[in-house]
Amino acid sequence: MIKLFWNTHNQVTPKTKEPNDERVIDYNWGLYHRKNSDKWIYRILSKLNYKIIESYKELNSGDRLIIIDSSIDKKIDLYTKLNLICSKIFLIHLGDESGQKDLSPIYDKCNFIWRTFCNNKYFNKEKISCLPIGYKSGVELKNPDNDRKYKWSFLGNIHKASRHDLLFQLSDIKPSFCYKTKQFNVKIIEADEMNVILSSTIFLPCPNGFIHPETYRLYEALECGCIPIVQNTYKYYDRLIPKNPFVKIDIWKEAREIINSWDEEKIKKKKNECKIWWKQYIEEIQNKLNNKINS
Amino acid sequence: MKDSTLSKIEKLVFNNKVEEAQFELSKLGAEYNKNASYLYLRAKVFYLNKIYYLAIDTLLIALEFEQNDEIYDLLGKIYKVLGNEELSRKMLNSNLRHEAANSVKDDLTGIYRKDIQK
Repeated sequence: MIKLFWNTHNQVTPKTKEPNDERVIDYNWGLYHRKNSDKWIYRILSKLNYKIIESYKELNSGDRLIIIDSSIDKKIDLYTKLNLICSKIFLIHLGDESGQKDLSPIYDKCNFIWRTFCNNKYFNKEKISCLPIGYKSGVELKNPDNDRKYKWSFLGNIHKASRHDLLFQLSDIKPSFCYKTKQFNVKIIEADEMNVILSSTIFLPCPNGFIHPETYRLYEALECGCIPIVQNTYKYYDRLIPKNPFVKIDIWKEAREIINSWDEEKIKKKKNECKIWWKQYIEEIQNKLNNKINS
Repeated sequence: MKDSTLSKIEKLVFNNKVEEAQFELSKLGAEYNKNASYLYLRAKVFYLNKIYYLAIDTLLIALEFEQNDEIYDLLGKIYKVLGNEELSRKMLNSNLRHEAANSVKDDLTGIYRKDIQK
């Protein structure tokens, strides 16, 4: 039997509250993934039949396990147990943005791994596949037939030079929606309101994340029918998702030119291209997961 | 402070041997993370590879450890490439550069500040 065990939130409660302590960071991310990645992960697994379990104790000998997990470097004992019980282990590894830890002791205990935040170490590996981080749970397209009143929008944290330049380059292009936050994951507006804003936006600039190029923003753009404009740093997106339709720029001045010069027809064409591609791409991921887990 | 390793890398950068310089920089350990000359060289390599935003981030951090003309001059060059003429001009002006750089850093939440707890 195929069983699914979501384990990101099962972390040892840290004894300290020091926000920069690794145990606190891991603990908070575990909860974050449980709350924010479930819709995306369950969607890409939707072609599979499985039983959800709440504890590894519900596993029987010979079960195939899909485990969704984070901070796995601290869970070697669990994976050793799982390896003894299960006939196959398929790990969906969330988090690990820096990719600096040696995870081979855990990965070696799994039959196949899908991981987010890919880097050179993990591209083109036989039993590791890169998985987009997806959109946050709750993000959805509102009023699909609505006219999009914002030429561009940005909600987020201006942590480094790229985002600073983004705002410098685009601020005078109106109408737009811009809301700056002081740090990541601080709730600024209700999910519904955010959906309305994204669904009213034509171009969504998707600057690189704090550590890694990939951010949820890209997939939220696709989910809400915006045209994503991504930074082409190290050609990351073309390596993660070849033949993607995203608009790519090296510096935000290029985005300014695009937003200012594209006519209605060009926008409509690109929007449609992104919409069709996104639907097909999700289907492709679903099929790949289905085939691998059922093989 | 520039040691012999950094001087060697500086020569590589000067002679446009960017990949070699990048490789040598990647071999250096965490003890260099607060060394302004090291950070400047990293930024210069980013700049030569046209990875402008990482170059700016690195230069802004370098300024936390040492104020010197070459750091500001490179910031000025990069802002010119990006099309931010005003910031470029300020970074190239010795009377305005310090305030301009601090103003940018004040706007950013993710750049290391030696004396400010965010």
